[in-house]
Amino acid sequence: MSALNSAVRSHAEAVQVSRTIDYIGLFVFFFVVCGSYHIHAMLTMGDWDFWSDWKDRRLWVTVTPIVLVTFPAAVQYFLWERFRQPWGATVCVLSLLFGEWINRYFNFWGWTYFPVNFVFPAILTPGAILLDTVLLLSGSYLFTAIIGAMGWGLIFYPGNWPIMAPLHVPVEYNGMLMSIADIQGYNYVRTGTPEYIRMVEKGTLRTFGKDVAPVSAFFSAFMSILIYFIWHFVGRWFANVRFIKAS
Amino acid sequence: MKVLAKWSMISLLAAVAATSLYAPTASAHGEKSQAAFMRMRTIHWYDLKWSKEVVKVNDTVEITGKFHVFEGWPETVDAPESAFLNIGIPGPVFIRKESYVGGQLVPRSVRLEIGKTYDFKVVLKARRPGDWHVHTMMNVQGGGPIIGPGKWITIEGSMADFKNPLTTLTGATIDLENYNLENTYFWHAFWYAFGLAWIIYWVRRPVFLPRFLMVNAGRADELVSGGDKKVGMAFAAATVLIVIFAMSSANSKYPITIPLQAGTMRGIRANADEKSTVSVKVEDATYRVPGRAMRMKLTIKNNGNAAVRLGEFYTASVRFLDSEVFRDTTGYPEDLLAEDGLSVSDNSAIAPGETRTIEVQASDAAWEVYRLADIIYDPDSRFAGLLFFFDAAGNRTITQIDAPLIPSFM
Repeated sequence: MSALNSAVRSHAEAVQVSRTIDYIGLFVFFFVVCGSYHIHAMLTMGDWDFWSDWKDRRLWVTVTPIVLVTFPAAVQYFLWERFRQPWGATVCVLSLLFGEWINRYFNFWGWTYFPVNFVFPAILTPGAILLDTVLLLSGSYLFTAIIGAMGWGLIFYPGNWPIMAPLHVPVEYNGMLMSIADIQGYNYVRTGTPEYIRMVEKGTLRTFGKDVAPVSAFFSAFMSILIYFIWHFVGRWFANVRFIKAS
Repeated sequence: MKVLAKWSMISLLAAVAATSLYAPTASAHGEKSQAAFMRMRTIHWYDLKWSKEVVKVNDTVEITGKFHVFEGWPETVDAPESAFLNIGIPGPVFIRKESYVGGQLVPRSVRLEIGKTYDFKVVLKARRPGDWHVHTMMNVQGGGPIIGPGKWITIEGSMADFKNPLTTLTGATIDLENYNLENTYFWHAFWYAFGLAWIIYWVRRPVFLPRFLMVNAGRADELVSGGDKKVGMAFAAATVLIVIFAMSSANSKYPITIPLQAGTMRGIRANADEKSTVSVKVEDATYRVPGRAMRMKLTIKNNGNAAVRLGEFYTASVRFLDSEVFRDTTGYPEDLLAEDGLSVSDNSAIAPGETRTIEVQASDAAWEVYRLADIIYDPDSRFAGLLFFFDAAGNRTITQIDAPLIPSFM
């Protein structure tokens, strides 16, 4: 068989090969994104996502969507532009959460015995679905950046509140008021993580009283728009086909 | 090719063997690696007591004592404006039930005053069976962890029996070991399944090659049907509705919540200043490297009402005692205790009002084992510590010393 001949001999065989490539591609794609996105997440949001006593109304809400909208923006461009597939953001967050759960379960709990209810990762799927469906319905990266990324930032806190609310119930602990999450952080000793490096509830947003989370979420949404816009260029760069065309 | 495969397999097996087959438990906290000047010139821990050496799961251990915030705090370490009383253990093998500085519960960071002495107490509850090295520890922002003495404590029993009950202000009693766990797993599983459903909807059809060819052929619009868009709208709407429902459901189930509690705690009460009745001037001090011994020439003046003798020199958690004057009965860690490590040229009682110059030698392998000898490589080559003087009735007075140190290599 010469290089110019077809590798398959029938339509059925072509379909079979195509599906095989799909499955291999999806498998590889999932784990490549898992590894790279996971490293990115660890380096940027790090402790905010590790511990329940870091998941506050201000910085966790602000930082996490901003730093995590990056890969979804790039992967969305790649999959939409080359394959018209609108699941780039969702596959990113599912692969990230897959890696996160392996880390949290086997590392944090299995090796060092921190309870899972203290070290669970944040839920990201609702924002990813919004990003993907906005891109599907609009077909516009600009619209997706403005509406989708805004939705991504805004829905993060309410999407996680069903898990977080039980941990914010107040407790009187030896004469001090603490939330359950605070007590988790106090009880389960982190020798290498002193309390003062906990970046929570800092800044002047206290002037908004108890309605701090919506303000943080709006700021996060606004920044997510900008970051989405920047990172979709990364996707554009990764999705170029000039090497394929050259061959 | 076979050779390549063979060596690849051997390399892989070697890598697995090197990284997986031997994984001993970490048993210390790098205390010996911490710069000697940090341990000598920042926090001085003393009068330490560990209430038990063997406990069962769910039993508590108390660590009590004092720490002195050294006046000659090095300029290379930030002042303890924000410090956290921590405990050096390998992960949550104990849980920290309580910790106090100056009688105040300190779940958060505190401000310490240089030159002051504070009482502290840490209450630990045993969680995971094993032999664990338990250190006192003070984290200082801009300085890092300042580790104190460590003692081995054995926990017996089964971790499965561990309980961590807590009663909330809303009246519920919970066990922190598994509280909210099912809820966490449920919502993560639900949203993971929801996301997977979205992807599966698309990947049940050809994913890559045919679509790539269609896009390249300018027929991308044909790849997304009206039905696909309706499904997309349904997913988007369902996402928003589920989030709203879940959030309002959580709010009605947990109507009273508070934000995370944060902020440095102020006003921690230091012990009343006890002016030492003995003044000490360090005339000179040398560290003899081959002999692992430190020699000091001290001029001591007893300003008190009772004759005193030098019983102990403490530095960086290592205690050098003159056993004729003072013996430790607290079960202090053996590797940090030189029971006869202090020799004094004339250790007869110094009478009230008397001034005497004496030579003191503190020698023990601990200088080398705990890498205190490394102080000779510091840019400011100073040592510091506490001298404990005792009168005949056993009363104690403490004097701090801080002076240059000259190494001797002969």
